[in-house]
Amino acid sequence: MRQFVVIGLGRFGSSIARALTEKNFEVLAMDRSEEKVKEIEGIVSQAVVVDATDERTLKELGIKEFDTAIVSIGENIEDSIMVTLLLKELGVKQVIVKAHNELHAKILQKVGADRIVFPEKEMGEKLAESLASPKIFDYIELSTEYGILEIVAPKKFCDKTLSELKLREKFGVSVMAIKRKMPYTKADGSPDFKEEIIIGPGGVDEILQGDVLVLLGKYKDLNKIEKL
Amino acid sequence: MNSDYTDLLELSEFYILSQKYEEAIKILKKAQKLNNREPKLYYNLGIAYEALNDRDKALNSFRQALSLDPKFKAAQEHLDRLIKG
Repeated sequence: MRQFVVIGLGRFGSSIARALTEKNFEVLAMDRSEEKVKEIEGIVSQAVVVDATDERTLKELGIKEFDTAIVSIGENIEDSIMVTLLLKELGVKQVIVKAHNELHAKILQKVGADRIVFPEKEMGEKLAESLASPKIFDYIELSTEYGILEIVAPKKFCDKTLSELKLREKFGVSVMAIKRKMPYTKADGSPDFKEEIIIGPGGVDEILQGDVLVLLGKYKDLNKIEKL
Repeated sequence: MNSDYTDLLELSEFYILSQKYEEAIKILKKAQKLNNREPKLYYNLGIAYEALNDRDKALNSFRQALSLDPKFKAAQEHLDRLIKG
């Protein structure tokens, strides 16, 4: 089982520690603040009050045995850099660090961070993207290359069957499901609709106005469909 | 009620049931020119916009239907669902 160590238990660090625990991973959480450690004690596998900038402490905790370390140290940029350096020197395979700004990120890169994240920036960008293109409902990342996209069927696709559209041949994407609003007449004669989902649609299935397609494919191919 | 208007409203319902929502909207806009004080017209517009996933226009249409008939239950249900969703 993969083991994670989370250093710094602010909002970001504690959320990650909790989420990894929920996914049944072993998590060692640490912070200088007793209060923050107490909050997460009993939730994660192990929570300790330590100064992560102290090399000896990190060695004693057997840090090098962990597969991935997540450094989410609050405002103290110096500590974050120091801890990243120590973790890499101690041989942690993957060190992911939360950066506060571009300069911080540059230094982290130089000291060997394997991945640098800007949670606020990334969240902001994702939100902006979803606001800018309302037709996109959701993106699910499956791997670094593949994902699932929910999208309102582009006009070009409407009134055509899947075999006519040849989405796999032309775009390299598969239609996993079609979400459709099925209209009907109510007892009082007025129209309404029910939501239906067609799982694993076949070649004879037709795309209709307002359908939402659930597509699986490489990001670059999904992007092409988004732009139609 | 003007029979042309009633015909257009019925035609819009036919298009909605045939899942031709854009055509339904075109017809409803024509009907709106004949009578813009009828809650049902805005309800049908809301349904067509909602089916096309145009949330903002659907919200506006259901709100308009409710401003003309505050007891319009179906419009209220769609509005509530859109706001929550």
